[in-house]
Amino acid sequence: MTLAPAPSAPPTAPTSPPPAVEAVALRKDFGPIHAIDGIDMALPPGRIYGLLGPNGSGKTTLIRLLTGLASATSGNAKVLSVAMPSRVNLAHIGYMTQSDGIYPELSVWENLSFFAALYGQTDKADLHRSLELVELDSRAGTPAMQLSGGMRRRLSLACALAHHPAVIFLDEPTVGVDPALRVQFWDHFHRLAADGATLLVSSHVMDEADRCDELLFIRDGHVLAQGTPAELRKRADTDNLEAAFLSFATQSATPSAAGSLAASSKEVAR
Amino acid sequence: MNALRVMAVFRRIIAQFRRDPRSLALLYIAPLAIIALLGWVLSSQQTTAVRVAVVNESAGPAGAVVATRLESALDGQPGIVLDRSVADDSTARQALKDKKLDLVVVLPPDFSAQSRTIDLLTLGLNPTGEASAIPAVQKAVLGAVFDAAGAALPTIEHSTVYGSPDATTLDSLAPVVVGFFLYFFVFILTGISFLRERIGGTLERLLATPVSRAEIVLGYSLGFGFFATVQVAIVLAFVLGRLDIPALGPVPAFAIGLGVKTVGNPLIAYLLVFVLGLGAVSLGIFLSTFARTELQILQFIPIVIVPQALLSGFFWPIDQLPNLLQPVARVLPVTYAIDGLRQVMIAGADLSSPQVLLDLGVLVGIAAVFMALAAATIRREVA
Repeated sequence: MTLAPAPSAPPTAPTSPPPAVEAVALRKDFGPIHAIDGIDMALPPGRIYGLLGPNGSGKTTLIRLLTGLASATSGNAKVLSVAMPSRVNLAHIGYMTQSDGIYPELSVWENLSFFAALYGQTDKADLHRSLELVELDSRAGTPAMQLSGGMRRRLSLACALAHHPAVIFLDEPTVGVDPALRVQFWDHFHRLAADGATLLVSSHVMDEADRCDELLFIRDGHVLAQGTPAELRKRADTDNLEAAFLSFATQSATPSAAGSLAASSKEVAR
Repeated sequence: MNALRVMAVFRRIIAQFRRDPRSLALLYIAPLAIIALLGWVLSSQQTTAVRVAVVNESAGPAGAVVATRLESALDGQPGIVLDRSVADDSTARQALKDKKLDLVVVLPPDFSAQSRTIDLLTLGLNPTGEASAIPAVQKAVLGAVFDAAGAALPTIEHSTVYGSPDATTLDSLAPVVVGFFLYFFVFILTGISFLRERIGGTLERLLATPVSRAEIVLGYSLGFGFFATVQVAIVLAFVLGRLDIPALGPVPAFAIGLGVKTVGNPLIAYLLVFVLGLGAVSLGIFLSTFARTELQILQFIPIVIVPQALLSGFFWPIDQLPNLLQPVARVLPVTYAIDGLRQVMIAGADLSSPQVLLDLGVLVGIAAVFMALAAATIRREVA
């Protein structure tokens, strides 16, 4: 198993490794709307980052900019120190989209081996292990359209991870996934991070936030705050991450935007 | 360009269609059914005898002489049944309305040695069918005139440079339908397949892999090129071959295949159709950018397919089109495919013919333009 650039130095070493994901003054406009309104970030490798914010706050757009699927209006995005968009660099990136993005006519195995082949991954034994990890090995021959919603989510995850990417973007991976499976997903994410991968997981559900190593609160295309769950609680002087989000949002809000705050914090708290 | 990725896209398209038998049936059975029906209608058209009556309304002596000569000339002519019971114009009109007569030759009241106009009367409900009866009557009139002059009617022998004079409509239409059906079905299937990639989120995912847009277009072209190859092989075999099944018990004798006579090389015909199909694949990908639902892909049929059916030489030669439409016809890919197919299958031209090379070259050019357009618009998001 070849896991690409693992952090060679422990996090406490004096010379920290270069960030796995980096954004400098990143900005994306859709006409008059500033979907991403100047984001700066540098995420060291080997950790799970939670991207939290209400619907429409810019989470998916940010991921699309970082993967190079959308082009920035201004600013730069880098993954593994390579400027995006870069088609070659996509070989080291895994992306699980918000929709399942699998072919309903194809079987589980055909879907997985197709996406893996595009990444140049054709090791059958390894692909079988990928299916075992999401417990779909007994369903290899089943057409995807006959799978339950949760199974399709698992297949989608397996397709994003089959090539052992070093940087993994997961856009709302646990939407529509039952609680037991959600626990399995997060265990899996932690194993990947322990092996050196960097994960950026978007969610609008706060109860998942505590499973991340570090959180980025995002609203209206801005990063409101960044830190470990414990740090953010301490800075906002509350035990509750929902309250923390609301507190950071209030600090950054202009008077005109204050009215929508209550609504967006409720959305986050959902 | 990475062959492994192109082959992955190619194999995926094959696998998708293997699990979608209805679309495969559309690709293979529908053209056969339509061509078989067309062949059946065109090859066994009922040639019914034309029922003719001669009515003499004139009082003069010339009318009576001509009427008698016409009647004897018409009587016994192959394909003509003479009805001597009709005496005047109004009975004749009633007999036409009652479908007892097809055509009436009327010598008008002012018919004389000086004013020699003969009226032909038909029902007027089916102009083309009725007009087909006129040559037989004209021949009879001509025969009567020659007869009166004491001379024999010269016989006219028809021969052609290519093919034979008794070639039917089916013989000249067969090469055309091969190309046209391929274009139609390949366009529809690619358009819908690619639209489903866009709305199903798989395109987003494809673009997040190292696969390039050119590799996607090439993989699609190979995948649909494979299905198109099989379709063309089946359709060509059906059009060119003919298997006669003898009568067996209550089942009457019948034939499978049209047995159209061809002198050309089917491989060159296939090459023309294949390049046409490559263009159709890319056109389908390109136009799927402008559709949001499957229904909207079908809305392209009146824009893309129907004009090609009307203008590409399918029914009328391009030279006979209105002046304004001729340049339009000359940018349509099907026009060049049909011309090339006729050159090859009827005139027996091969790759040494400049005309066939021109058609092939234009088709390659059009396919290249559509491929570039398809690759350029793949990234366009679903609006």
